[in-house]
Amino acid sequence: MKDVIIKEHVFKHPIDMVWNAISKDEEISNWFIKADFKAEVGYYYSFKSEGENCTEINGVVKKANPYTLIYTWVVQNTNIETVVKWELKETAEGTALYLEHSGISNYSGDTAVQMFTSFNGGWDNCVSELTKYLSKEVHAG
Amino acid sequence: MQDKITRILKAIADPTRREIFHALILASTALPITQISNQFDISRQGITKHLKTLEKAGLVQISSKGRERFCYADPVPLQEVNKWLKFYEKFWDDAIGNLDSYLGHNT
Repeated sequence: MKDVIIKEHVFKHPIDMVWNAISKDEEISNWFIKADFKAEVGYYYSFKSEGENCTEINGVVKKANPYTLIYTWVVQNTNIETVVKWELKETAEGTALYLEHSGISNYSGDTAVQMFTSFNGGWDNCVSELTKYLSKEVHAG
Repeated sequence: MQDKITRILKAIADPTRREIFHALILASTALPITQISNQFDISRQGITKHLKTLEKAGLVQISSKGRERFCYADPVPLQEVNKWLKFYEKFWDDAIGNLDSYLGHNT
């Protein structure tokens, strides 16, 4: 068992479009979590959903060269740092994403329990705001 | 202080320890250390050391009965690691799904 989560996905969209979506805060706020974010090394960002019971995420941008984005990931009320890395590559089909979240074993048992409690349920709403937004748009149209 | 999850991850990072743990799980009963070390090509001392590491992580319970010590596997601590991984697995799956719909919506 390892403490790294790796996700790979191919988007049928041009690389710059995907890059903007993951590195510009007005776009991040649309599909992910309401963000104060700048793709500049050293920028102290925050992800704060407006939903209820959504824990704030903070961290520092470590690398932000197209098309690699690395930032630390610290959950509010904890001082444990994990690292999130996004890597994009142009492919024949569009853009390949390689996402890596590492350092999860840095959480102690107690912190893990505390975080689970704070994430519990509420976080589903925090991340899926877009799904709601999209379905609203469809119904409105 | 080494925390619980780190101890568990360290215990299962070693292939020999995983094999020992696996053998104990398959046995699903307490095994004497002698019997465990007979199954492996390592000294009894080496086996004991691995078992101590597994015991510290809570993955193995060791109890003495007469002259022999018996080991019993306990997989429960693994759930803690698993819970974590599962949470973030789903979290990122959802996020990537959202990103995909977002990009599609903007085309």
